[in-house]
Amino acid sequence: MATLEINNLHAEVAEEGGEQILRGVDLEVASGEIHALMGPNGSGKSTTAKVIAGHPAYEVTDGEIVLELDEEDVDDIDVELSESDYRWNLLDMEPNERAALGIFLGFQYPAEIEGVTMTNFLRQAINAKHDERQELFADEADLDEAADEDEDAGYETSPMEGPADDGEIGVAEFQELLTAKMELLDMDEKFMQRYLNAGFSGGEKKQNEVLQAALLEPAIAVLDEIDSGLDIDRLQDVSEGINALRDEQGTGILQITHYQRILDYVEPDHVHVMLDGKIAKSGGAELATELEDEGYDWVREEAYEAA
Amino acid sequence: MSTQVLDSLSEDTVRRIAEERDEPDWLLETRLDAFDELDELDLPDVIQTPGRRWTNLEGLDFESLVDPLNQADVTERDGEDDVVVLPFTEAFAEYGDVIEANFGSVLDPQENYLTALSVALFTTGTFVYVPAGVDAEDVTIRAEMNSRSLFSQTLVVTEESSSVTILEGIESGADAAADVSPANADRYFSNLVEVAAGENSYVQYGSLQNLAEDTYTYTLKRGSTDTYATINWIEGNLGSALTRSDVETELDGDGSETQIVGAFFGHDDQHLDLNARVWHNAENTTADLVTRGVLDEEARSVYEGVQDVGRDAWNTSSYQRENTLMLSDDAEADASPKLIIHNHDTEASHSATVGQVDAEELFYMKSRSIDPETARNMLVEGFFVPVLEEIRVDEFRDDLEELVQARLE
Repeated sequence: MATLEINNLHAEVAEEGGEQILRGVDLEVASGEIHALMGPNGSGKSTTAKVIAGHPAYEVTDGEIVLELDEEDVDDIDVELSESDYRWNLLDMEPNERAALGIFLGFQYPAEIEGVTMTNFLRQAINAKHDERQELFADEADLDEAADEDEDAGYETSPMEGPADDGEIGVAEFQELLTAKMELLDMDEKFMQRYLNAGFSGGEKKQNEVLQAALLEPAIAVLDEIDSGLDIDRLQDVSEGINALRDEQGTGILQITHYQRILDYVEPDHVHVMLDGKIAKSGGAELATELEDEGYDWVREEAYEAA
Repeated sequence: MSTQVLDSLSEDTVRRIAEERDEPDWLLETRLDAFDELDELDLPDVIQTPGRRWTNLEGLDFESLVDPLNQADVTERDGEDDVVVLPFTEAFAEYGDVIEANFGSVLDPQENYLTALSVALFTTGTFVYVPAGVDAEDVTIRAEMNSRSLFSQTLVVTEESSSVTILEGIESGADAAADVSPANADRYFSNLVEVAAGENSYVQYGSLQNLAEDTYTYTLKRGSTDTYATINWIEGNLGSALTRSDVETELDGDGSETQIVGAFFGHDDQHLDLNARVWHNAENTTADLVTRGVLDEEARSVYEGVQDVGRDAWNTSSYQRENTLMLSDDAEADASPKLIIHNHDTEASHSATVGQVDAEELFYMKSRSIDPETARNMLVEGFFVPVLEEIRVDEFRDDLEELVQARLE
């Protein structure tokens, strides 16, 4: 069981005089839980998601993001682990390392990448996650061999030239896995020959995000407005996919949404309201219904009174 | 003006080359005429932007680069039985008339200083002849350059309703460096390609240049289409210190077509001067120019694409797009797509972009555990895909993909 802990997170836009967006976010999401993060436009929901994943457009000025793991989360690791291998300070890590540890970001607007087929991308991602994990925990075992950040230095003898044979997902195994996950999401096999998100409809892109989460089996998945712009059929497919993440893989879900609608299909254990870069109120599923009926003003008033 | 008179070259040099090859008199005359004109001819035009001439051809020291009597190459030529694929020296006896009728008909030897030098001094090359109605799939010409300088000449003639696919590969020989004295001296490679596409014939000509990076390369390929003929060029440039490449089609016959597909990948301080040009000289003609290139480190590229629609070119379709991807802040690129229209009955488009690897695309891939270098390489390979998709010859596709991957490693 993994826990994502966000403590007093402050972040601003990473440029000269960049606007401060997060002003002390506190949030904890554990495996198997579903959290809904709601709030008006500009309150900092998407920024929270991006900062968790390590987007370079934001600079963290205070606070921490910690991923706490337990035995179950590292049963694929070959090397012997010490106590420090179970607690990771994500802000010190590259986006690809965070992903390998088990953080998944479902994008509000996924990138369209011409020339890279879905099959190629998904296999690369699965294999990269495996390789990066082994490397991360091995590195941790031998701190002197910190990940080689210098791209030029590794030029001739890149470790990527010969990825370890063990653990590479075979073609047949990959196909089988893919077919099962796509069926769940009601996606057509033809997707696999298309280029990554290129020319996908809004709904197809969102399905593809959930598909990737299903394949990569993250500890914690942050889904940024995965429900926006979906028709009812697709909303149901996507919801089924999200529930399966939790039920079958024990993934913890942080679901960012504007609308209460998806919460009818993906029932949250916790609902948080974000205002002005902070969590202003937390509660159970009933809080979402209240927000749907009454808007955010009463939360704001309540928050100001408390302050 | 800018051209150099080479003291070491004389008419005797030209005569010796021709005599050693036992060539017909008309060709010796053609060579001598070209040689005589050297003094009068200019180097090819290069792109100029304010304060800058992009390619410094004047800087080439031909006196030291050109060593005409010691040219050496190993060239393998292959083709099916019903198509002629021969070095000129073996083709004169049987096809002398065809060669004489077509040599220089599309590409004037006295076009510029470099073409004249090339015609005067060439010692290798290939004659491809496709008789009427013959379909020739796999003509390959694999040339290995083994000397200080090498001048090559290729002539392709297709008769009515024939078709041919030609793949040309140009590399430096493995032991070439040892043959150059003094060691480490620069080298010069010149290749002129002329295609006369007969009525309703189809020519696909793919050329992959991967010469050693001590080589200065000049290539000019020009084709002329008869009625309903098609010439499709594919050009891949990865090698050489400096590459000047011109790929051109004269759409001379009604209903004729051309496609010019280009891919390049420069690194270190390679310089690429790439040009694609088409002239619409007849009715109902179609042209499609597609070039994509990647620049890393301090590499430079300068591209010119010209679509020239003539006065009589009614109902023309002409499209051009060029995209350059920069992997380094020190790389430089310039692109000039030019559309010249003298007939209003034309559907045309032209565009060029220069850009960097997209930060959002990179982040997306990293967020899926893919490390930054692999992510970048996948994006670069993906960038070439639209060009690769235009290439219908698997072998050429595979070769080009392999070279791109090798460069990324």
